[in-house]
Order: sequence, then structure tokens, then C-alpha cells
Amino acid sequence: MSVFKSLFDELDPLLHERGRLAIVSALAAAPRLTFTELRDTLGMTDGNLSVHLQKLEEKGYVTIDKQFVGRRPQTTSQLTRFGRKAFTNYLDHLEAIVQQGRRRNFA
Amino acid sequence: MDQRQAAHTLEVIRTLMERTCQYRLLTAGASLAAGTLAILGALAFFYFDAADPVAFASVWGFVFASSLMGTFVGTLMRGREVGERVWTRQTRMVLLALTPSLGAGLVLTVFFFARGEHLFLPGVWMLCYGQGALATSAYAPSGIRWLGVVMLVLGALSFVLGTGSSIAMMGVGFGAGHLVLGFTLLSEERRERAIRLYRSVA
Repeated sequence: MSVFKSLFDELDPLLHERGRLAIVSALAAAPRLTFTELRDTLGMTDGNLSVHLQKLEEKGYVTIDKQFVGRRPQTTSQLTRFGRKAFTNYLDHLEAIVQQGRRRNFA
Repeated sequence: MDQRQAAHTLEVIRTLMERTCQYRLLTAGASLAAGTLAILGALAFFYFDAADPVAFASVWGFVFASSLMGTFVGTLMRGREVGERVWTRQTRMVLLALTPSLGAGLVLTVFFFARGEHLFLPGVWMLCYGQGALATSAYAPSGIRWLGVVMLVLGALSFVLGTGSSIAMMGVGFGAGHLVLGFTLLSEERRERAIRLYRSVA
């Protein structure tokens, strides 16, 4: 159990929240996404998405760009290099937990 | 977090990433309908003369327009079924990827008709379609990639075999090719429905 615990402790707490993990997963698959695209893909409310994006931006995981397209304001988000690295590390840790569990099952 | 939770989280992440970049509104029904229409179109030339440009244009024009209509209706229905909007970033990406081959196909269609060599068009259409399918393969289910490769091979073969076999090649490429794709998509749709049912019960 201690191996699991140490692996679990290494999981990025910011990404471990499912809303933020969903946002980062979506942004990892596309160069940039608009607020509407993210909201529709993830089925989140405007408020929820806004709060999570703000938190991710504060920690340097994403950049948020606000501009006008025609007369309409458009917010686009993009994963930073730091955010992508954190996401890759998070995936590596999850895979390590799965592998560790498999080894224990075979032992 | 245990092994099962970690594996489930990885699966959810994968689904989300696919959902972000994949076009998921292709329907089995539209593909099966397009395949059936193409085979009927090829069979129609037992009755019509393929060398007659009016008959050739009428039959394949009807097949193309009906298939396009079927795809349009199928996409709307699929969007409603899975609760997704039709005009999304993925739709725009797929259309953008298709535009060069559609444009080339259109120009070459006019060119070959103008020269009275319309029997070369099945090969041209298959090559353009294959190229378009491969261009969209990054955003589409894997079946599309295979259909693209098959169309490119059949298109090239159609030129090798000559105009005498062009109608039969249309039946094989657009007809059988779409039927195989349709059955593949059908099994995927059934799997998805079963998963949705399982999740709604669980």
C-alpha cells in the first residue's frame, strides 16, 4: 500500500480535480480552444469553467487570450509548455499506478 | 487512488482528448445508403449507355446528390442522438481538409466532360475522394483512413484497366467501400449505445 500512497502523493493536486483535469485534457488535444468550444465539449457551466480556467492560469498551466472577433468578444485558452509537462507527468503517474497494481496482481 | 481508478481516469482522459479533436458525427446509415446508391448507379448502366454523357452525368449526379442529402440528414440525426452541435470546430476542420480535393475533383470533372472523356472520371473521382478521406483521417474514425487508401488504389487501378471497367470500379469503390465502412460504423454505434445504456443503468 505504501507504494500506491507514494505514487498517489506525487499526483499533481491542481490537476487531480476532475474539472481542471478535463480542461487540460481537452487543451492537450488541440492547439487552442475557445471558451464556447471548451464549455460544449466538456458540458460545464460558464461559471464553473471560468473559475477552473482562472485557477489554471494563475498557476501558469494555461494562457487565456481575450480579443474581439468582429464585434464579439472571444476568449481562447491554450496550454503552456509548463502545463503540458505537468499533464504528461500526471499521465505517467497514473500509468505507474496501473502498472504497479498489475504487478501486485501477478505476484 | 487504486489501479482501477487510475485506469478509469486514463480512459476518461483518452475519451476527452478524442472528443476534442475527432469528428464523431459520421453515421453508419448515411454510409450504407451511399454505398447502396453507388451500386444501384453502377447497375443502372446495364440499362443506360455509359458513353452517353447525359446519362452518365444524370445517374452519377443523382447518386452524388442523394448521398450528400443522406449524409446531411444523417449528421443532423446523429448530432441530436449524441447531444452534440453539428457546426463545431471538428466539422470546420473536416470541411477545410476536404476542400482541396473537392475543388480538384470539380475542376477535373468539368475538364474531362469538356473533352468528351467522361469515362475517365470514375478514376479521377476515386483518387480525389481517397485523397480527401486521407486528409480528414486525423479527425475521423480509422475506417475513413482505410477507405481513403482503398479508393486511391482503386482509382489508380481504374486508369490502368481503362475506361471499359470504370463503371464497375465505381460500384466496387464507392459502393462496396461505403458498405464496408457503414458496417464498421454500425458496430461502433452499437458498442457506443451499449456503453451508454450500461452507464445509465450502473
